[in-house]
Amino acid sequence: MDYARSDTLAIKILIAGGFGVGKTTMVSAVSEIQPLSTEELLSDRGARVDDTSGVEAKTTTTVALDFGRITLREGLWIYLFGTPGQDRFWFMWDELAIGALGAVVLADTRRLGDAFPAVDFFEQRRIPYMVAVNLFDGARRHDPAVIRRALAVPAHVPLVPCDARDRESAKEVLLTLVRHAREMSRVGAN
Amino acid sequence: MAADEDPEPGPLVRMFAVTGGRARPVGEAFDVIAVVTTIGMPYDQAGLSPEHLAALRLATRPITVADIGTRLRLPLNITRVLLGDLRREGLVSIDPPAATAGVLNERIYQEVLNGLRAL
Ligand SMILES: Nc1nc2c(ncn2[C@@H]2O[C@H](COP(=O)(O)OP(=O)(O)O)[C@@H](O)[C@H]2O)c(=O)[nH]1
Ligand SMILES: [Mg+2]
Repeated sequence: MDYARSDTLAIKILIAGGFGVGKTTMVSAVSEIQPLSTEELLSDRGARVDDTSGVEAKTTTTVALDFGRITLREGLWIYLFGTPGQDRFWFMWDELAIGALGAVVLADTRRLGDAFPAVDFFEQRRIPYMVAVNLFDGARRHDPAVIRRALAVPAHVPLVPCDARDRESAKEVLLTLVRHAREMSRVGAN
Repeated sequence: MAADEDPEPGPLVRMFAVTGGRARPVGEAFDVIAVVTTIGMPYDQAGLSPEHLAALRLATRPITVADIGTRLRLPLNITRVLLGDLRREGLVSIDPPAATAGVLNERIYQEVLNGLRAL
């Protein structure tokens, strides 16, 4: 990591989705560093927790956050952030999403509904996103068109199957996202 | 939960104590991939926690907020609180990451695609 050079660039990609959908697994599959998985302490929006007497259990909560990094070349990095899409944590997503290249919404066909909040979030904020359907063993395969309809994902948004444990598969997902984000930026520029 | 069920504070609670119970950094908001650079060393290190000092040492070469968190094995928002303190003390500068969505251009997208394919 040498930020002394002027042509250095850090790119942020978000991995969203419900609990147990494979976010940590996917970040681990592509990160060059042992991903840092932390419990982030959050104070509820607006609430100030600067009471020096200690932790105010009522005004704080925790959320898991995975962080990984990919060096593409000296001076060009992708930073991956994985965290659950859940209503009470959106303020954290609002911060993470600033300047992000785009987002991967991981979905599990057995619990498709868990992907709704994340899809909504990125739709509303016009952040380029895609859906990656993590193909768990034993889960029934679904027609992509059926999943797309169930999630109300527009036709131009990529929706692809993946295996979050597999580095090549995770790489392919990121490639799809970057191509899509580039496409969106072209459309936006016109 | 009754106090006697939780005799030892967990690691997270101890870390939270490092920030004085604060969940948010002081001053202007900054990105998790903002670039931190140490611009001064404190005359008196007594007021700074070992975590503050470790962050200062790491940032003698420019480094992102997220990378500091990884190196210190600290949650990102706790890392941010520490860095906000150091900035307030005039010991670090925190600069926005070069790449925000607005400055991603065709060349960068292509470079990222090429780089990913070559991994
Ligand atoms: N069979 C199978 N298991 C997976 C896959 N992805 C994740 N898992 C497992 O599912 C569990 C939850 O994954 P995790 O990455 O922790 O989910 P997270 O809560 O979204 O971070 C873990 O035990 C993983 O090993 C997959 O593609 N196939
Ligand atoms: Mg996880």
